[in-house]
Formats: sequence, structure tokens, C-alpha cells
Amino acid sequence: MKLNRRSFVGAIAASTLAAPMVRAGGHGTPRVVVVGGGAGGATAARYIAKDSKGAIDVTLIEPTRTYYTCFFSNLYLGGFKQMDDLGHSYGNLASAYGINVVHDWAVGVDRDAKTVTLAGGGTVPYDKLILSPGIDFVDGSVPGWDLSSQNAMPHAYKAGSQTELLKAQLMAMPEGGVYAMVAPPNPYRCPPGPYERVSMVAHYLKQNNPTAKILIADPKPKFSKQGLFEEGWEKHYGGMIERIGPDFGGENTSVDPAAMTVDIDGDVNKVDVCNVIPAMKAGRIAEIAGVTDGNWAPVNAVDMSTKADPDVYVLGDASQQGDMPKSGFSANSQAKVCANAVRGALTDSRVFPAKFSNTCWSLIDTNDGVKVGATYEATDEKIAKVDGFVSQTGESAELRKATYEESEGWYSGITADMFG
Amino acid sequence: MSSSVFLSGAGIAALVLAGAVAVATANRDRQELATAEAAIGAVHAERDVLRAKVSELQETVQEHAALEERIRELEAALQDRDAASQTAEDAAEDSEDDPATVLAGIGDAENGKTLFRQCSGCHEIGAGAENGVGPHLNLLFGRKAASIDGYRYSDSLMRAATNGLEWHADTLSDYIADPRTFASGTRMSYAGMKDDADRRDLLAFLRIYSDNPADIPEADPTAVGTDHSVDPEILAIAGDAEYGEYLSSECTTCHQASGSDDGIPSIVLWPEEDFVTAMHAYKEKVRPNPVMQLIAGRLSNEEIAALAAYFKDLEE
Ligand SMILES: Cc1cc2nc3c(=O)[nH]c(=O)nc-3n(C[C@H](O)[C@H](O)[C@H](O)COP(=O)(O)OP(=O)(O)OC[C@H]3O[C@@H](n4cnc5c(N)ncnc54)[C@H](O)[C@@H]3O)c2cc1C
Repeated sequence: MKLNRRSFVGAIAASTLAAPMVRAGGHGTPRVVVVGGGAGGATAARYIAKDSKGAIDVTLIEPTRTYYTCFFSNLYLGGFKQMDDLGHSYGNLASAYGINVVHDWAVGVDRDAKTVTLAGGGTVPYDKLILSPGIDFVDGSVPGWDLSSQNAMPHAYKAGSQTELLKAQLMAMPEGGVYAMVAPPNPYRCPPGPYERVSMVAHYLKQNNPTAKILIADPKPKFSKQGLFEEGWEKHYGGMIERIGPDFGGENTSVDPAAMTVDIDGDVNKVDVCNVIPAMKAGRIAEIAGVTDGNWAPVNAVDMSTKADPDVYVLGDASQQGDMPKSGFSANSQAKVCANAVRGALTDSRVFPAKFSNTCWSLIDTNDGVKVGATYEATDEKIAKVDGFVSQTGESAELRKATYEESEGWYSGITADMFG
Repeated sequence: MSSSVFLSGAGIAALVLAGAVAVATANRDRQELATAEAAIGAVHAERDVLRAKVSELQETVQEHAALEERIRELEAALQDRDAASQTAEDAAEDSEDDPATVLAGIGDAENGKTLFRQCSGCHEIGAGAENGVGPHLNLLFGRKAASIDGYRYSDSLMRAATNGLEWHADTLSDYIADPRTFASGTRMSYAGMKDDADRRDLLAFLRIYSDNPADIPEADPTAVGTDHSVDPEILAIAGDAEYGEYLSSECTTCHQASGSDDGIPSIVLWPEEDFVTAMHAYKEKVRPNPVMQLIAGRLSNEEIAALAAYFKDLEE
């Protein structure tokens, strides 16, 4: 049946029809369903609705009414942003772009019937399904920790109440206490994220609890922007931060949430805050839809369609696409390529070549911003890196300040691009 | 001598003739005297001529010395001017690093408007401003010195421009304070505005017409397409605005379609030529921002034209 449909679409594309063509399976307006209203999903929904001007019916399924961005949530921990600064509502996507926003969980996908089942009971039919559910955690990746421990040892790797909890714990630390972080193994969302977080926690502690210590247990030998972070930590927070990498057993870490201890290669540390960031995998719904292979959903680079099903697309963190880091910027970039392709497949709009890019800014201390970025292209195998850059150690204070200001501009830009 | 030998050989005849000889001698002496006197007169005359020549020459030499002195002065002035433009360049670089040093120079535009009356005899500014006696002053901030097409600048200013002089708050302030110290050969026949506060006010007024360089270091040099060194063939490419719309989605992750410019400059409603010029400057890595170098670096000429065509009319 899928083969038939594809050859049908191919035949239409080859014919020369003057009137705008709509390719919906036997019903009127073609239907796109987007699951997950984050960096990937909100952008995809908005672009398809905006550019198709009513020619495509767009439904966005997202359980939360306010999306709190993970990006800049570390700055909230550092005291640079308020929680309210990070929250965005879906009202505008509904009112200004005519998107049907359904606040519910998607709990099932029937790829033959082409429907999505909601936790509330209904089903939503689609011609094209776009999944951008972000991440979930790999069970057992940090021995002693599971989701039921997230109140004692928060991950704060999905923004919102977890972030607030971690901040509250940070503020409640006794004088000279220890903040521990169990860093995740690759691949995970936002490669510089844990280290920006350490910087922001250190910034907070330096002001409020200067004798406190930060202990990082890290399974990775290297991490993103390492030279820049280590330079900054030395400069701003000398002596406060200790990182134990795999050469000293950092990968052999377990926790005991009841006792508030972290065991790093047999060395048991009593800590006051323990921020466990476990190994990650695609948001559950991708697995439920049957489009994952292992932890992630492999996709075709040209349009982000899954290898498993040409009518199901996976964006952002959940996708396994090649060289792009899992970031909000990447998810947003992929969403626009996907939106263009989906629109082209469902109407007669022009399809342009895929182009991707990413830049991740991180804040190390007040006005000390750094960035890393790259451009990417679609090849047959993957999204492949074309060219990249990273901030340099020893940059002037002025440049670092400008970089931070740039990141604030970017935040306004991307959230406007997602939510209109 | 030979004649006296002859006389001694002639004996008596010499005695007879002695008186006549004496007369003849006296005559000859008189003649000789006259000749000598005439010669002396000639020498004197010649000496006078020479003296005149000498004094003439002395005057010339003095003139030369004066000219040499003037040349030295001019050379010194040139060096000062180069140094000034170098300082200006350094200052411009410094100020790029520290926006505060630039922005500290900004005063009361209202008073600046009144002060501008001193300039308006030669300079136009605002909508429809054209070159007159002096060049128009729109988009002055961030502009390369002596860069308005169709205006004939002094060599002095042209050279300063070649040395990298750009108009920013600090360089403009120095120039307006004392045009000739800043660029000795400038055609701007204006004595200078000596009062610091007045200059700040005037600059505040001028800045209004400079694409609002906002409060960000990037915006002043980048918000206007300054160097029009792009191949005219590239500038002539007609952009495919629909393709531009698709490509623009890569820009709007950071640059807001609404034109807001906090931290990241606005890119909407730019004249196409400025947009294309700016993008090529990033592509060629003439402009420094590494994100923009990357993005522009892989855009083809057609794609840049497409983006320019799309953004020129974008209004949300
Ligand atoms: C601390 C931290 C800092 C970060 N900083 C940056 C940064 O500076 N720059 C940057 O670019 N990126 C940053 N990131 C990464 C960025 O947040 C993610 O990469 C990005 O959000 C991924 O987008 P996404 O669409 O894949 O997932 P998300 O944005 O997480 O969106 C997923 C959405 O799907 C919804 N969802 C999940 N399952 C279902 C379901 N079954 N039914 C319906 N809805 C569902 C969720 O509620 C959620 O709203 C950071 C991340 C963290 C944790």
C-alpha cells in the first residue's frame, strides 16, 4: 500500500497540472499531525501552517500548556533569568496560524491506519506524521537512580518543575556543601549543557556560598567546548570545581538517593545536591510508533523522514540524523527542512534543497559567553557537517560580552520562530 | 724688449729721437691709462651685474630654503595626519571592542539639530539628501571615509580612507573638532567645533540618520553595507524571492522577522545591494562574525540574491 501511494504521488508530480494540487488520501485538505510542541515540533507546525496558507490542516499534540525552554534554563539556575522568561504558550500558534493545538499525550500510532491515539481517548488521522518528542532516559544507566528518584536527585534535563526543584536544592545547600553532577554519556541533548550548568551553579555559589564545592562524575573523556569551560572555571571559580573523568573511574558511578551519596569508582561521597543526568534515548512515542532502531529514530537527511516509514518524520533530539548535535537550534533547523518537504509532498509547493545549521552559545559567568557552531548538508547517508567554528580561549572580555548578547538575541529569535 | 735692443743698435738716431719718444711714451701712457680706466669701468659694470645676480641668487636661495621649510612642514603635517588616521583606526578598533567608548560620545540630538545649522550650508541630511558643496550625511556612522560615490573628496581624505579611516563617534568628533588637524588637505572649510559637549550633541543628531546603530557593537559597522567592492555582475543578479523565503528560515532562528535587533542585528528591509554586499563581506571573511562567515560562506551568489530579494520587502 505504501509503495502504491508513493508511485501514485510520483505520477502526479510528473504530470503537468496547472491548478494547485492537493494530495490527500481520499479526503479534502491534507492533514499533518505533529507530536510534541518543542523546538522541532512547534517550528514544523508553524512553518507548515504559515506557508501552506490553509492548504494543509495542521494539528499539534502537546500535553503542556506552557513550554519551558531547556535553553537558558541553566541561566535561570545562575540567576540570570526568571522562570517566567523561559515559558511560552501555544495560544498564538492556534490563533494566528490556525493550528489545532491539542493538549494531550500521544500514546499510540497506527501507521497502517495512519492515526495517532491520544491519552484522552480520541484518535487523530494524518497523511504525514511528524514526531518531535525530545528525549527520555535510559533505565539503569546510573545504578541506583530511576525516574522515581527524580525528586531526591533531579535531572532538570526537561525544563520546568525539575529545573525549579534543582534551583531550590541549590539555594538550600549548607555552607560549604557539595553539589554533585553525574554527567551523561554521548549522545545526549545539548552537549555543552551539563558544563554550562556547572558554570551557572558555580556562579550562584560564588555569590551565596563561596566555600561550597562542585563535583562532576563524568563517563566521557572529553566534552564540548572543554578548553573554554576549563579556562573559565579556572578564571572565575578557581578551586571550586572538580571533574572526575573516566581515567579516574568517572564512568563507574552509582548513586543512593536515600542516603544522598555518590559512589565514584568505590569512593563514596556524601553530597547535598545530586543532579543526575542519565543516558538518553528518543522520546517514548517514537519507539511506540516503531520508527526507532536502538535508542534513536534513524532518518533520511533530505527531509527527516524515518527510514522505517516515509510518512513518519522525526525531528530534533529523538532523531538519529548524523553529525548535528542534539540542540534546540538543530531541531528548529531540521523542522524547517522537513516543513518544506512535507508541504511539497502534500501540495504543489516548491521543494528546495536541505540546508542545516547549528550554533550553541554557553554562558560561563556574567558577560562571558562562548559559542560553537557548524553548517551541515544532506548526503545519502546522513546530515553531514560542512564547516564549523568554536570560540577561542583567551578572547577579549568585549568579544565574550558581545557573544553573550548575541545569545540573548538568538533566544528571542528562535522562540519567535517557534511560536510566532 | 726687442725694440730697445734695436734702439741700442741704432746709436745717434736714438738720441735724436729721444724727445719724440718721450712724447710718444707719454701719449701711450695716457692711452693705456684710458684703456685701463675703460677696462676698470667695464669690470665695475660687470661687478655690478654680478652683484645684482648674486643678490638675485641669494633671494632664490632664500626662497628655496623657505620652500624646503614649507615642504618639511607639509611632510610633518602628512605624518601627523597619517598618525591621526592610524589613531583613529586604533580607536575604531578599540571602540569595536568596547561599545561604551563609542556610545559615551552621544549627547542631546535636539541641541545637535540647532548646531547643525553651521553645517547645513554645505551638507544635506535626512530624506532625499544629496551631495552639495559637501557630501550628504545619511548613514554616516560606520561608513568608510570618503566613500560616497559621485562626491569628489580631497586627496587628503581619500588617503585617510585608504589607511582605514571609518566614521564612528570618536573619529567624527576629532574631525569636527579641528578638520585641518585631522586631515590637513580637507576641502571642508570649517574652523572646527571646539566644545566637547556641542560635538556630542551634534553627533547625537547625525546618528539619527545612521540606521540607528543601536546599543550593540555589531550594529554600527554591520548594519550598513559599507564597502561596495562586490562585482557588479553579482550585484546585478535578480533574486528568486520565493527561494529566499525558504532560505530565510535559516536566518530567522536568530534574526527576528519583526526586525527587532537586541543582541543580533535586524536584517529586514535592507536595500538589496547593501544586503548582498554585507553577505559577500562575510563570505569573503572581511567581516568578522564567525557564525555569519559560516552561513554566508556556503550560500551561492544566487542564494544571496534570493535572500536579498526576500528580505527587502519583508514586513511582519
Ligand atoms: C539544560 C539544557 C540547556 C540547553 N541549552 C541549549 C541551548 O543553549 N541551545 C540549544 O540550541 N539547545 C539547548 N538545549 C537543547 C534543547 O533544549 C533540545 O535539544 C531541544 O529542546 C530539542 O527539541 P525537540 O523538539 O527535539 O524536543 P523538546 O524541545 O524537548 O520538545 C519535545 C516536546 O514533546 C512533548 N512530548 C513528548 N512526548 C510526547 C507525547 N507522547 N505526546 C505529546 N507530546 C509529547 C514534550 O512535552 C515536549 O514539549 C538545552 C537543553 C538542556 C537540557
